[in-house]
Amino acid sequence: MRGQNPLESQVVESLSDPQNQGHPLHETLSQLWEAHHSLLNRIERIARVSDGYQSIVRDREMTLSARFDKQLRQLEKVARISDRYQTMLRDLNIALKEASTHDALTGIANRRLLTERLREETERAKRYSRPLCVVMVDIDRFKAINDDYGHEVGDNVLMEVVRVMEAEIREHDLCGRWGGEEFLLLMPETSTESAVRVIERLREAVAKLRVRVNDNSLSVTVSLGMAQLRADENYSSTINRADVALLRAKRNGRDRYELAD
Amino acid sequence: MNDFSIAGSQSSPSIQSDWENGVLAMQGDSYPENSYELFHQVIEWIEGYLAEAGRPLRLELHLLYLNTSSIKAVMDIFDMLEAAHQEGKAVAVNWHYDRRNERVVELAEEFKEDCTFPFMILSHD
Repeated sequence: MRGQNPLESQVVESLSDPQNQGHPLHETLSQLWEAHHSLLNRIERIARVSDGYQSIVRDREMTLSARFDKQLRQLEKVARISDRYQTMLRDLNIALKEASTHDALTGIANRRLLTERLREETERAKRYSRPLCVVMVDIDRFKAINDDYGHEVGDNVLMEVVRVMEAEIREHDLCGRWGGEEFLLLMPETSTESAVRVIERLREAVAKLRVRVNDNSLSVTVSLGMAQLRADENYSSTINRADVALLRAKRNGRDRYELAD
Repeated sequence: MNDFSIAGSQSSPSIQSDWENGVLAMQGDSYPENSYELFHQVIEWIEGYLAEAGRPLRLELHLLYLNTSSIKAVMDIFDMLEAAHQEGKAVAVNWHYDRRNERVVELAEEFKEDCTFPFMILSHD
């Protein structure tokens, strides 16, 4: 409640002064004074109600904003955790893909990846009439190594031979494990003459390799059969011809290569 | 009393409630088609337990992969536990992970971040 201002005090004083009781304007002023008062009361009531509404709205806004902030924090957290799960799945996918296309022991391409690349490369070679060579490589007398020294040494030999082959092939050649002690070299954009240079180098490098077995060292050789893709055949026929050539290399004394017919 | 058990599938976890012992357990991957429906039961059960049982509640979680809506549901559950903890009720979470999958630890840590109730991250073989 507000206090009286000077004019109001003056009005109250005049109305209560006994001298003014009979004055003609006394009744009028008294009514005006009452009307003034009820108006003031109404304004104050309106202001109170309106303030009340405002504070309700304000409270609600604050709860909403607190709720909004909380939801926002939760959303950010959900997104963060979800992202991490997705990264985890993605890494898992990469690992699975690697596992499904690579040989677990030697880390080079497995038969699945080789087959996929053989299909792509033969198509490409045929479409652009480019040369493509396929080489089958087999470690000589590998069964004897396994029998004499055990599988662990056998595995070491496989890994060492792969290391040497990987070092001798060129960047766009692909070397993969075809099975057991047999490997396949895929040489795109390569004529028989250039392929022979690579496989001779590779054969010599393997023959120089020494694999440690306790105090002794073991030497190994490889035999190779090579075929160049023909325009009228699919890659399985090329592989078959390379296989036949490999067999001939074995029969002709091993540690050598033979070209397919 | 009003316990439930949901058999798991490739895309949804198996869930068991045990009112008597105050344990709720979930195992497996969670990327169900309708995770609201799946977790609704769980949330209702926990709400009921916290309101009526007057005993400690423990969650035993063996969860691997969670999709986004499952993450949200699990966070809602932890929020409920946090509120109960603030009211002085005994709640706890044991998050179990396979030793071979260490990355689950980081994720469990993220969930744990805002929780002040006992939250253990435990490895098993």
